[in-house]
Amino acid sequence: MSELPMNRPTNWQSPEIALRTKRRYRKEKIFHALGFSAVVIAGFFLVSLLGKIISDGSEGFIQTSIDVDIPFSSSILGDPRELGAAEFEKQIRQVNMLLLIQGAMNDYFPEVTKRKEKRQILRMFSTGAREQLRNIILSNPAVVGSTQRVRLLASDDIDQVIKGNIDISLPENNRKVKDVEIAWLTKFETEDRVSRNFHTRFFTSGDSREPELAGIWGATVGSALTLLVTLTIAFPVGVLTAIYLEEFAPKNRFTDILEININNLAAVPSIVFGLLGLAVFLGVMNLPRSAPLVGGLTLALMTLPTIIIASRAAIKAVPPSIRDAARGLGASPMQVVFHHVLPLAMPGILTGTIIGMAQALGETAPLLMIGMVAFIVDIPGSVTDAATALPVQIFLWADSPERAFTEKTSAAIMVLLAFLITMNGVAIWLRQKFERQW
Amino acid sequence: MVESMLKLAPEFENVTEQKLAKMTTKNVNVFYGSNHAVKNISLNLHRDEVTSLIGPSGCGKSTFLRCLNRMNDTITDCRIEGEITLDGEDIYNSKIDVVQLRARVGMVFQKPNPFPKSIYDNIAYGPRIHGLATARADLDEIVTNSLEKAGLWQEVKDRLNAPGTALSGGQQQRLCIARAIAVNPEVILMDEPCSALDPIATAKVENLIDELKGRYAIVIVTHSMQQAARISQKTAFFHMGDLIEHGDTTQIFTAPKKERTRDYITGRFG
Repeated sequence: MSELPMNRPTNWQSPEIALRTKRRYRKEKIFHALGFSAVVIAGFFLVSLLGKIISDGSEGFIQTSIDVDIPFSSSILGDPRELGAAEFEKQIRQVNMLLLIQGAMNDYFPEVTKRKEKRQILRMFSTGAREQLRNIILSNPAVVGSTQRVRLLASDDIDQVIKGNIDISLPENNRKVKDVEIAWLTKFETEDRVSRNFHTRFFTSGDSREPELAGIWGATVGSALTLLVTLTIAFPVGVLTAIYLEEFAPKNRFTDILEININNLAAVPSIVFGLLGLAVFLGVMNLPRSAPLVGGLTLALMTLPTIIIASRAAIKAVPPSIRDAARGLGASPMQVVFHHVLPLAMPGILTGTIIGMAQALGETAPLLMIGMVAFIVDIPGSVTDAATALPVQIFLWADSPERAFTEKTSAAIMVLLAFLITMNGVAIWLRQKFERQW
Repeated sequence: MVESMLKLAPEFENVTEQKLAKMTTKNVNVFYGSNHAVKNISLNLHRDEVTSLIGPSGCGKSTFLRCLNRMNDTITDCRIEGEITLDGEDIYNSKIDVVQLRARVGMVFQKPNPFPKSIYDNIAYGPRIHGLATARADLDEIVTNSLEKAGLWQEVKDRLNAPGTALSGGQQQRLCIARAIAVNPEVILMDEPCSALDPIATAKVENLIDELKGRYAIVIVTHSMQQAARISQKTAFFHMGDLIEHGDTTQIFTAPKKERTRDYITGRFG
């Protein structure tokens, strides 16, 4: 009987014990090292990803312009004093502004006489340059008759040469920008007429086929409207569903099946929700195609399970003693939920909602199914206008052949990330506001 | 107006004289599914008395207590048979509004459970939802009055806007008692109110119960036989869902009639 280990005094100095202690320390050390290296690896990938996006994308916010002395000749534009304001404006809208640039270039490059080369010079400027000139004249008709130095937007190819993205040491046939154009560009540069400016147009305009004219604002507004619809549908429906299932629904086979189905829905690939949206919202309900309304409804379906699951968990985590206390004072079931359970569960519910909304913001596949992938130039004004969304815009630009769209894609990703961070920031602020009530 | 509300309703004065039972229970049986938790309990509760329910863990005393204000309603598969009356009215009658019943039969729980709100809002919550007071001045008076009755006023009068959860355990439990009496109940049920408290806090709560006993019918579940002996006038001993013996506290503790009661009281089991 005395041989039972527990009856013997333990020798804490024995070599077995020392070995055991050493092994324990080693295991802890290895675990610590593994955990630390995991963090380092994750940090490395995060930093390199963000670094790549920022280094590529920051160029997208910069655009090259060329200063040109434009003669606003009244023989082309007409005289505003003779025509009257209304007639003059009408005329300006019809005049081909390229004639002005052509006139300027004839003066600047008198040695160029061939038609083909003259056209080549004009192609160094963006098609948006015409709009620029028209706006200058319309905002100040007094320029007619004078010569002004105007900062005209360069074409995307010239922009890429300036940014060093087109390698001019390659044989001429292998690049888009030919030697003559580089010679002309050099002349502009030696006279200090080439400048790189912050490109506000990128933040204010919609999509375009020309990289130097394309902007992110249309997609941003589209995303905001879509998320607005998603939030207005998914948040109340999700939270009320969670409250009903958690606080009021009887526990039986039907609610069990319901619960399993909700959990399964959270794992359904998003494109399936897109198909559902296509079939129901477009096919049956005949809602407008490509509209944030339909996109928002589809994403709301996708987000609902996330919100329901998170809300149920948050509601379940409210201590039952609080419910007892309220019930014991004579609070009705509704009062128990809305005065006590919901305020306490709100931080958790908001966390779930923001995860769902972030998911919805980054979602592309369901939007492709309901036609939000179309090329849309106009900024959407309401939820029924045709629109596109940020991730879809990124997808579209990444698919474009022009070299200049590469940096626009990265710039758009930065805008998407900024949107996401802002949204999360608001949610965290809200959550802390609710948590402050203990 | 509040003053008159917090005072006793006139009809109660006579009730005291006649020694009529405030609550009666007749042949109460409670089942959790197939588990017969409370068996055939008949017990009368009087307005000016503290009744303590004692017995070993799992003997059904808490279950029985929770039947008295229908707190068991929300438990699925809990079935209650028999008759429980408040002022002669069956509380399980479908005409009875549970919300009003619980306002009349208040409850204090084992673990102090103040709402995560300010001390003021903790007390004012009950009067607010029952519409007992709408004017701020009336509400202030109810809060002051309830805290005074619960003996907490001196300790918290300067920090009514502090969170109720920031108080110590004993203060929290007295806050819960103050919260229960703020709706001016007729019966107060206490489910082991001192089991989470240290001896000093326990003494304070016991003193409080002693002071409250003239105004409310108090039913208290306790594991401490000394506590039952100290604060109650009537004692009921439960065992395995049966009511073994009930009567005057002094009689139960000095001359129990049943052997099992004597064994429990002398510490032979339980």
